[in-house]
Amino acid sequence: MRRAVFYIVLALAAVAFLYPFLWMAATTFKSPAEVGGLSLLPDQLTFDNYRLMWARAPFGRALFNSLLVATTITLSVLVFGSAAAYALARLSFPGRRILNTVTVAILLVPAQLTLIPMYTLIVQLGWVDSYAALIAPFAFNATAILILRQFFLQVPRSLMDAARLDGMGELRILFTVFWPLAKAPLAMVGILTFMGAWNEVLWPLLVVRDEQLMTLPQLLTVFSLGGGAGPRALATKLAAAMVLVVPVVVAFTFLQRFFIESLASTGIKG
Amino acid sequence: MANVSFEHVRKDFGTATVVQDFDLEVADGELVVLVGGSGCGKSTILRMLAGLESVTSGTVRIGEREVTQLPPRERDVAMVFQDYALYPHLTARGNISLGLRLRKVPKSEIDRRVRWAAEILELQPFLDRKPKQMSGGQRQRIAMGRAMVREPAVFLFDEPLSNLDAHLRGQMRHEIARMQRRVGTTALYVTHDQMEAMTLGDRLVVLDSGRIRQVGRPIDVYEAPANKFVAGFIGTPPMNFLDGRLEGVRDNLEFVSDVLRIPFAAERRPDPATGSGEAVTLGVRPEDLALADAPGPATLRGRLVLAEVLGATTHLHVEVEGQRLVAAVPSGPPPAPDATVNLSVDPRRLHLFAADGSSLLRDSHDA
Repeated sequence: MRRAVFYIVLALAAVAFLYPFLWMAATTFKSPAEVGGLSLLPDQLTFDNYRLMWARAPFGRALFNSLLVATTITLSVLVFGSAAAYALARLSFPGRRILNTVTVAILLVPAQLTLIPMYTLIVQLGWVDSYAALIAPFAFNATAILILRQFFLQVPRSLMDAARLDGMGELRILFTVFWPLAKAPLAMVGILTFMGAWNEVLWPLLVVRDEQLMTLPQLLTVFSLGGGAGPRALATKLAAAMVLVVPVVVAFTFLQRFFIESLASTGIKG
Repeated sequence: MANVSFEHVRKDFGTATVVQDFDLEVADGELVVLVGGSGCGKSTILRMLAGLESVTSGTVRIGEREVTQLPPRERDVAMVFQDYALYPHLTARGNISLGLRLRKVPKSEIDRRVRWAAEILELQPFLDRKPKQMSGGQRQRIAMGRAMVREPAVFLFDEPLSNLDAHLRGQMRHEIARMQRRVGTTALYVTHDQMEAMTLGDRLVVLDSGRIRQVGRPIDVYEAPANKFVAGFIGTPPMNFLDGRLEGVRDNLEFVSDVLRIPFAAERRPDPATGSGEAVTLGVRPEDLALADAPGPATLRGRLVLAEVLGATTHLHVEVEGQRLVAAVPSGPPPAPDATVNLSVDPRRLHLFAADGSSLLRDSHDA
């Protein structure tokens, strides 16, 4: 009996979380007349909202921009973050302890605080309206360094010694010994970074004005503000939101095993 | 293959000196065992030879080449680690061959060497398995295979059997000895296990606090320890020590203490420079004590505290005037607990140490 109640509560919680998302997904396939309803099944299936969304703004280009920017940021964070984490965890050099402290301290600085200095820097560099402005500020990430450093500290020293005796240099040890061992934390860092970069709105709004360089959430925001009102406009905006959400959901579905493993092993809460 | 030499090698970690004035010559093809307690510096010495630890001062040579400042990959050494240090994401074959692939050895040669090592170590059925699918003994054999295929100038073994159970340890000890003899490569082997030290090495190096206390053939180190530290460290159970003094005249000295008065046999006399009245420590190995029926001139009398029957041998723990001694005697019906027992001491098997710990017997060799 207690078990049944437990499952009922869990099912209700799942519905509460899933319903808004499913409603959004369903609404994008509804005709304007049905948009206001709570039903998850459209009476008349239509793709007009997607066609309209695609026609009214360069969402295809924005999708490409978002993929390019988020993927580049993710790869940079994984490569540079793991290299920094490796150095901080396993190499001896003067100032290592200070650098560790600085890395932790960076986490204490709110992103909003650095927004204006970073913008000024981008303007000074002449990077406004460029991919560099979208990518460079996020290519390094202190959280990623700390998560990976914590994992790298657990790799036995003898494994590094064996690799050195086998003839490996530090970079090769990082990428051929540590990376295969660190699939779970790398996946977690990758997903978190990709999601963060994919959903970023504020920064692109500041540094990009050219519509051809806008990312998906940025274009969606601009589109939402100027996309008109009424059921058709709402369904079109939701269609744009779906384009934004689906890649992340798909990526998470494939990588969730690593993600959960890593959360469990590092004790980091999502 | 090559000889190895350490010349006045020192290693400091911050203000702590862990290895000091370490001098050792290892001949080509020789297997030398470094033995000592925890923190004695034995693993550090191995790591300095491998290039995994820097040398504070001194010189390390492999063959004619000075390698003191060379990185590990340029030293031509291979190492077997206590925890095997296998790459978990690679198969046994991948682990064994990786070092060769990184050195761009032709594939046919890699295959030949992997087959050769797998045959010697009986690893053929496991070559395509990953380490987690194998037992501790199999993993250790892969680690050995990885070292063998490199055909290095020197093998280094850092307590390679410590993670194995007693049965497997015995088996692997035999395999290591067999492998080393077969390939004839110079080897340094670090252990704290006396059985390994005594059975594997051509020579033993006994270390204490970063210093060599004695170097010699295992049996020589056992029979004629150069000092009290070595005497107490080598041998299980450890040597018994009795504090006392020397009495008598030259060539007719006796050891005298509150519990024992014993003359020295002609073949094991104290150094002629030792004088009467000098404070000394007598050493008697447990196996050189025997149960006697009655008290005699060279017997110890005490109370039996504990009898440990090990099978062929029984360890008798006897309290003599507040001091605990151990006798290793052939198993038989042990005396009753708390019984008074007499232990006879063989004068031909005595060891004698000065107050500074150095051996005072003529036939011992100081380090």
